[in-house]
Amino acid sequence: MLHLLSKDSLTINALAENFDMSRPAVSKHIKVLYNAGFISIQDIGRERHCILKQDGFKVLQQWLEYYDTFWGSKLKKLEALLNDKTKNERP
Amino acid sequence: MAKFIQHQIFYPNPPEVVWDYLTKPELMALWLMESNFQLVVGHEFQFRTKGKPDACFDGVFYCKVLEIVPFKKLSYSWKFGPGNGHKLNNSVVSWTLNAKDNGTELLLIHNGFEETETLPMFALMNEGWLKNIQKILHLINPTIDGTTPA
Repeated sequence: MLHLLSKDSLTINALAENFDMSRPAVSKHIKVLYNAGFISIQDIGRERHCILKQDGFKVLQQWLEYYDTFWGSKLKKLEALLNDKTKNERP
Repeated sequence: MAKFIQHQIFYPNPPEVVWDYLTKPELMALWLMESNFQLVVGHEFQFRTKGKPDACFDGVFYCKVLEIVPFKKLSYSWKFGPGNGHKLNNSVVSWTLNAKDNGTELLLIHNGFEETETLPMFALMNEGWLKNIQKILHLINPTIDGTTPA
């Protein structure tokens, strides 16, 4: 759902069409996302639109990407150290 | 979206050796960061790296040892933020060691991230800081890219 909204804001009906869920189930899901602060809901004309709140979402994503890279390089470094140690122990 | 980091890597060394590199500050400094870590549950310690004051990161990861199972499991809280008394962002780092094929399968899970008020500041700094960290990595270990003359 968030993935769909990351491309464009959608009405609740348009969102529901993408899922094999009942309309009440979709509404419930949207409510959870709304309460978690991931989306905002705006009335545009007669339709209710769901809009992804980019800020909090993207920022957390950026930290996760940062730590992913961070640990990836740290663990590679540990690997190099341990490999050196193994070589020195078994010449 | 997964809100956690997971890395699994196999090292051809027994868990006792890998454990040393995870728990002895002088060995941790070689691949991770300088710290005042102690292998004691409840011990509070900090990892120190280069901060970036204009980018809302003070260069310190504030940690507390949560769980120790010798040679098998280690976890600590991992808080970070802009310093100066601002609220820190929570997370948890957990290491699991499994003896396997004359070596160790090391699993890292970094989770427990929350949306907080200070997180949006990170948007200002992301790219520059990543580059900076890469640079620090090379400074700490110039042989990592193999271009350092012998």
